[in-house]
Amino acid sequence: MSKRSKKPRNALMRAENRTAYLCLIPSIIGLIFLTYVPLLEVFGLSFFSWKGNGFKGFTFVGLQNYVKLLTTDPYFKTSVAVTLYYTFMAVIGSMIYSLIIALLLNRKIPARGFWRAIFYLPYLLPAVAVYLGWNWLYNINYGLFNFILNRVFGLPRVGFVNDAKLVAPSLALVSVWLAGNLIVIFLAGLQNVPKTYLEAAEVDGANSWQRFWHITVPCMSPIIFYNLLMALITNLQVITPALALTKGGPGSSSRFVSYVMYQYAFESRKFGYAAAVSVMLFILIGIFTVILFATSKSWMFSQGGDD
Amino acid sequence: MKKLFAILLCVLLVAALFVGCNNTDKPAETGSKDTNAPATNAPATNAPATDAPSGEKVTITYSYWGTPEEARDTQAILDKFNAENDHIFVELLAIPNEQYTTTLNSMAAGNQLPDCGIMNENGVLDFAADGLLADVSSMYEGASSMPLDSITFKSNGVPVAYSGANEALFLYYNKDMFDAANLAYPDARTPMSWDEFVNTAKLLTLDANGKNATDPDFDPNNIVQYGCNVDNWTWQLEVWALSNGGRWFSEDGSACTINSPEVAESIQKVADLYLVEHVAQYRDGLEDSGIQSTIAAGNVAMATGGAWNVGTCMNTVEFNYGVARLPVMKNEVTIVTGGPQVVFSQTKHLPEALEFIRWYSQIENNWGLVESGIWMPTLEEYYTNEELTHKWVDNPNFPPYDEYKAAVVDYTMEKSVSTCWYYVPHTNEFLEYLRSELGPVWTGDKTAAEALAGADAHLQEIFKGE
Repeated sequence: MSKRSKKPRNALMRAENRTAYLCLIPSIIGLIFLTYVPLLEVFGLSFFSWKGNGFKGFTFVGLQNYVKLLTTDPYFKTSVAVTLYYTFMAVIGSMIYSLIIALLLNRKIPARGFWRAIFYLPYLLPAVAVYLGWNWLYNINYGLFNFILNRVFGLPRVGFVNDAKLVAPSLALVSVWLAGNLIVIFLAGLQNVPKTYLEAAEVDGANSWQRFWHITVPCMSPIIFYNLLMALITNLQVITPALALTKGGPGSSSRFVSYVMYQYAFESRKFGYAAAVSVMLFILIGIFTVILFATSKSWMFSQGGDD
Repeated sequence: MKKLFAILLCVLLVAALFVGCNNTDKPAETGSKDTNAPATNAPATNAPATDAPSGEKVTITYSYWGTPEEARDTQAILDKFNAENDHIFVELLAIPNEQYTTTLNSMAAGNQLPDCGIMNENGVLDFAADGLLADVSSMYEGASSMPLDSITFKSNGVPVAYSGANEALFLYYNKDMFDAANLAYPDARTPMSWDEFVNTAKLLTLDANGKNATDPDFDPNNIVQYGCNVDNWTWQLEVWALSNGGRWFSEDGSACTINSPEVAESIQKVADLYLVEHVAQYRDGLEDSGIQSTIAAGNVAMATGGAWNVGTCMNTVEFNYGVARLPVMKNEVTIVTGGPQVVFSQTKHLPEALEFIRWYSQIENNWGLVESGIWMPTLEEYYTNEELTHKWVDNPNFPPYDEYKAAVVDYTMEKSVSTCWYYVPHTNEFLEYLRSELGPVWTGDKTAAEALAGADAHLQEIFKGE
């Protein structure tokens, strides 16, 4: 399509292109003003010191923000480690969880539509409400989990979000529970796995695990790739649980990179420095996206060719 | 076509830049440019004229935080002003307390601050240093009584803002629980020593079998009633440092002395109430939940908290409560604080905003908040003139007069000192970093001394503004 559109062969094509561009203008304007211009501004701001007092007091500091961030900043290195640790658990957890749920929901179970809605529902709830709700389950003094552990089984209380070692896994678990969108996409993918392959394998005597591993998974690999990419990007940008629940604590054990950026910008009014944190997060996400794309060729099975 | 598209894109980008830059030309009408002495060089009377044409009613915005109780009382005060005043109309901008500083910070960055408002104490000196506050030195010109010195924000010794309310920390206790344990109530005038406090807390801590924490068979994993809660919301910990003979900052605000054995010991003693003595619940120190979720919830016998709780929360409890002075580690002391009423320098209506804030700061105009027990008066005469003290405290919103006078009014007058944010800048960042470093202390993963030693270098940097 792209090759052909360079040299439209006839008037009809030109007219079509014109309409297409006209229709694209609103979204392009949105993209420019709401995404690219702010992006450039953030990049530019990261070379300044600005205390956010009106539109005054910009001081050009060159790379100083980045140097400080990578050397003496008390939060940044920990926040990268915490974010990666959380993302690893949340991504792996939500991929496995949503694939299993999708496989179950793809079977001919009674009230299938109802169950599909139930598992998708968490994704539709406001994130802050979800985390506050989970906080009532996790709360060390009054939470339901601790009530069961302590009062029913007589075990000591567990600080799910108060213990530095448990807070990231506890928050990752909520993120896994929220992965309803991944389930829907997996379901759509499962329905496109050609029945003929599965039947042929069954005739050849393949058991259900072999059919899953050698047919379903390869056919689903583009979907898995897409979900993996989306889950990775979403989880690397995590901030809601820190804002709603933990304030980055205990200590710095849930101080995610986005939260560090938020703190510098909106609590300390160091907007230039916060912009540098944003750029670093952008680079971090970029690195992982490139790695994922680069490795995908070796494991992603594609039936079609390039357009 | 491609060329046309590219040109269109370029035009849009240039337009975007133009729109963006245009705003930067907007002058900040009244902002002081001298970052070192922000508040003293522009008397309010010489303020530039407002943008509004004469004769027209000017609408200004007043921002505040607070509980629904405070919202109700604040709106009532504004209604009174709006009814009395023929050239100013004040609109209320409500921002939740926990987002207050961050919201004001973003508004400041967008040149969109309200005309005036109450401010979080921890941002006042930074706002003043960055020229975001207008001069309010004329607020109490010609007044018969001045606000207490301990609640006046000073930058290099020069007043930059006055607290709109005074709030002291003291001890609340549940009289019914004391009765049930056959214990005498804490004396309102003579405070307990820390050890007496811990022992009393042990006698009031009960497990599911009804055994208290002094009993050898006491089960610390099955506590149903806690003896005490000493709020570890970070700023409140300063009072224990002072009580234990230490200081976070030198008295003149010129040095940060937080990494000292006295301060570490004071924090450790608070942490040990949960970790060692088993008389308190775990608290993460993230926010003020000391009163609502402890003593007011009915499962804690004694809790430290600010004076505002009398009006915002204790008037709803279904038990008899009393007030007493804070227990003493070495020195008898409490800290006082209160959000200041400020005019933001980004306002286009400086004279009107100043007029309103001056009006609002007069105690007869904010009496509703004082009478309900949410605010303590800022004027010294209410603490020294017994007739005025009666006018303030002798009403059903308060505990019995003699008790509150001894435990709160006289305590504040005799023993209170300023919270650090009255004379030390960057406290928002300082307290946030301190909070994060103290996290492992509350869980017992680090001692307070280890945490302070580890945090000291960066705390010093924040203190110096590096």
